[in-house]
Amino acid sequence: MFNELTGARSNTPGAANGTTEASCPDGNGTMPSCAGLAVPYVPFQQNNPQKYSQTEALSNGTLFPGLNLPFHLKVEGSTVPATPLAELQALEFVVLELGTYLDTHKDDTEAFNLYKQYAAMEKAAKAAYESKFGPLTKSAAAAGDSYQWLCDPWPWNYEQNEVK
Amino acid sequence: MFLYEKKLQFPVKIATPNPKLAAVIISQYGGPDGELGASMRYLSQRYSMPYAEAKGLLTDIGTEELGHMEMVAAVVHQLTRNLTEEQIKDSAFAPYFVDHTTGVYPTAASGFPWSAAGIQSTGDPIADLTEDLAADGAMA
Repeated sequence: MFNELTGARSNTPGAANGTTEASCPDGNGTMPSCAGLAVPYVPFQQNNPQKYSQTEALSNGTLFPGLNLPFHLKVEGSTVPATPLAELQALEFVVLELGTYLDTHKDDTEAFNLYKQYAAMEKAAKAAYESKFGPLTKSAAAAGDSYQWLCDPWPWNYEQNEVK
Repeated sequence: MFLYEKKLQFPVKIATPNPKLAAVIISQYGGPDGELGASMRYLSQRYSMPYAEAKGLLTDIGTEELGHMEMVAAVVHQLTRNLTEEQIKDSAFAPYFVDHTTGVYPTAASGFPWSAAGIQSTGDPIADLTEDLAADGAMA
């Protein structure tokens, strides 16, 4: 068993680091001290992956079809209502997803260009939304004619337009 | 630092209140694998992460989890609005209601209040990432 394990090990690419059988004695039991117990493997997302449209992304909870591994294989996404807020949420979700992707793929220039495009679209959409429905950030609240931050709706209310 | 945006990440609009469902969903808010735990896990672990890619991921995902927390809280809030006495008595929501009424409180469905004992930050990036796989794989 010892010889089989060490034989397998010496055939592994990258494992050859000058270690000889002599430095790997089976001195403390049946398992050689140098034998790997387990090798975990996580598939790494490749550059330039396929992407959903922004509404499909928000509906499926991911921008990337390759990462869409639904719970209990339930394939249909959630229904995203056709509202100005949901459109903004979809744009922001794409910016968020691309930003997270770029954390581990910073040299993917196509993704970075897309990130810049979507960030600009989101900025414009947010400004348009705020001019109509009120501030989403404190800095936007500072830009108004009066202090509108406390006005309904608050996000957790039944409808964002609900007035209590 | 963190700045608030006065909106949810995804729309939450629950037409029919359901306290029985709220009694289960509250675990995704304050249970060991809930969103509060996820936020605290990632935002605490990032300080001992040596790699920029993973510092970025832990920061960005830890921040996103705060947004998830708000959505789950909104779900619980909307599931428990306008309740009648009959909906509360003899329902799975009664034990929660006796302590918190319809306030949103970070607790596991089993009644155990949110605890940092449900997360880990070891200072060892491999150990932490392995814990992240276990926690977020359980309930992303």
